[in-house]
Amino acid sequence: MLEVKNLKVRVEEREILKGISLSVKPGEVHAIMGPNGSGKSTFAGVLAGREGYEITGGSVTYLGQDLLELDPEVRAREGIFLAFQYPVEIPGVSNMYFLRAALNAVRKHRGEEELDAVEFIALVKERMKKLKMDDAMLKRAVNQGFSGGEKKRNEIFQMAVLEPKLAILDETDSGLDIDALKLVADGVNSLRSPDRSMIVVTHYQRLLDYIVPDYVHVLAHGRIVKSGDKHLALELEKKGYAWVEQLAASGEMVTV
Amino acid sequence: MSVAADRTTAPRYLEAFEAARREEPAWLAERRRLAIERFSLLGFPTTKDEEYKYTNLARIARGEWRPGSGGSLQPDALAAATYEGLEGPRIVFVDGRFDPERSTLSELPEGLEATSLAALLATAPDALEGHLTRYADFEGRALTALNTAFFEDGAFIRVAEKAVIAEPLQVVFVATGDAGTVTWPRVLIHAGRQSQVQVIETYISAAEGAHWTNSVTEIVGEDAARVEHFQVQQESVEAFHTGRVEMLEERSGYISTISLVLGAALTRNDVRITLDDEGCECALDGLVVISGKQHVDHHTLIDHAKAHCNSHQLYKGVLDGSSRGVFNGKIIVRQDAQKTDAIQNNKNLLLSTKAEIDTKPQLEIDANDVRCTHGATIGQLDKDALFYLQARGIGAGEARSLLVYAFAADLLERITVEPLKRHLERLLMRSLGRDSAAQEVSE
Ligand SMILES: Nc1ncnc2c1ncn2[C@@H]1O[C@H](COP(=O)(O)OP(=O)(O)OP(=O)(O)O)[C@@H](O)[C@H]1O
Ligand SMILES: [Mg+2]
Repeated sequence: MLEVKNLKVRVEEREILKGISLSVKPGEVHAIMGPNGSGKSTFAGVLAGREGYEITGGSVTYLGQDLLELDPEVRAREGIFLAFQYPVEIPGVSNMYFLRAALNAVRKHRGEEELDAVEFIALVKERMKKLKMDDAMLKRAVNQGFSGGEKKRNEIFQMAVLEPKLAILDETDSGLDIDALKLVADGVNSLRSPDRSMIVVTHYQRLLDYIVPDYVHVLAHGRIVKSGDKHLALELEKKGYAWVEQLAASGEMVTV
Repeated sequence: MSVAADRTTAPRYLEAFEAARREEPAWLAERRRLAIERFSLLGFPTTKDEEYKYTNLARIARGEWRPGSGGSLQPDALAAATYEGLEGPRIVFVDGRFDPERSTLSELPEGLEATSLAALLATAPDALEGHLTRYADFEGRALTALNTAFFEDGAFIRVAEKAVIAEPLQVVFVATGDAGTVTWPRVLIHAGRQSQVQVIETYISAAEGAHWTNSVTEIVGEDAARVEHFQVQQESVEAFHTGRVEMLEERSGYISTISLVLGAALTRNDVRITLDDEGCECALDGLVVISGKQHVDHHTLIDHAKAHCNSHQLYKGVLDGSSRGVFNGKIIVRQDAQKTDAIQNNKNLLLSTKAEIDTKPQLEIDANDVRCTHGATIGQLDKDALFYLQARGIGAGEARSLLVYAFAADLLERITVEPLKRHLERLLMRSLGRDSAAQEVSE
């Protein structure tokens, strides 16, 4: 599904990603953990097509295409979904309009019929119920005045509506209390399927109790310094990020 | 005699004035004579005049203008001024002259009078005396002086005391639009005590020529009258448009005016109101959507003459290409005007690096117990928001339109005539290369 090879990225003259390789197969869930500033969001942003990055080396292949060649909207239509670490507020545009425009853009790209207002509302109401979200939110402007937790839930709700092939969740757990975390995890888990892959970026092991990953990668200073299975997350939790720093310094690299 | 004026073509106007023969009451003839004399002294303002610092009228001042012929129009000439779903009465002027054929005035609601000024001046001018030309002074105002000297016709709208007019009245000025022609539209709206009315004034061109429109609208609201006024200017992008709206409110009145400018190469609008008694409220709003080399200058004045009055102002500009906007908002709070509450906001969205805006608030406050706030912003489209939309599959162009629409949304909300609001939403989307169900965006 996704093949990242030796990806190197600069931001404003500074090398942030220093050669990342990652292979994600259909149905797999990969967790990426790492300390602040290690480059997790940069990696997610590069995959989604955010501007401002200079790709200085390596390649990213998604479903057989050169992903880096595609505009962000085309990537989204092709099934890539980024749940933002900091969802953006868009005053004046309602969630309803926004999401319908997004869904119809995706459907059109897939050669499916666009949904009319009635069909659309039926679909979103069903998805909202699962995430215990209030319908009233549809009329509100995108993320405007939402609490941190509401914003994160809104990201997962959008994902549930858009049904991506590759979901990248950037710290979707931060700012959530335990109940909201469980809801979000349930939402994510209900979307797990043999042909849908996920990259879950998180700081804490806690989320991975609920969304159990197939692989865990530790990112530090722009490199994956250790990869393993779900037990790696527990080990990391126990030993702390200082351990990762040591790994990064020693240049040791462990892969599964 | 200052360099802040250009009098080169003034003699030509004086000649034209002398040559004109009009049958009209002596009081108006006298006003006109004063006006043309005033203009001869003033000449056209130049950019040396502080009030016209950013707006160069040289092409108007040096032009050889002749009256529009009022010639034949295509059957669909009024399409641009037709707001789907809005029935209501309509009074139409072609090159400034009343066009009974295109007007629909046969079923005016009770309490509403809408007539041609020329017709009224010929038959029953008394209703106009003391009002027409009395609000829009021309002392230091060359353009108003010219309109006053030369207008031939226009709309007189009178709302009887306590009459509440349900449907908006439309006043449409169509210019045939041949290059080198000028029209002098004139409107007087006189709302009686406790009456209520909505008036939409629309300016369009039937052809794409470099014509000139120099309009004056006077609005007076008697005690507790409520007037909602909308001015839509969608003339040819070759045209010149200079306009004046002068309003006066008496006790506990409410007047709102929204200036919607999409057309003309050069627009200069002077929008002014005097809150002449206690308990008045007013809203002066504007939306400018321009591109290419268009230039739009709004000079507004709110004169708080008496205590306990509120004024709100929201002007928004969406500027693309190498277009240029000017906003100068003056608020005067006089000594008697304690407890004044005045809010002014000017917000601008620049869609291109070549677009420019000059914005300036001007507050003159002579009372001590007042609240006056003002603010101006100039910004570009939010890159993060654009990416967010794109990351959900929405194309770059559509994402841009959506954000522009969102920028203008609160202003569009102030357009209380739904069909007009939808019309503008569509225009806004189209001007940004998008034409779909805009009205759903904010629902
Ligand atoms: N647009 C930018 N301009 C300048 N520096 C940037 C930019 N984006 C990221 N960086 C820098 O790149 C580094 C990696 O940032 P990134 O946001 O990817 O880290 P992260 O692992 O997601 O951190 P966190 O856990 O805090 O979310 C940081 O040092 C950051 O300051
Ligand atoms: Mg991050």
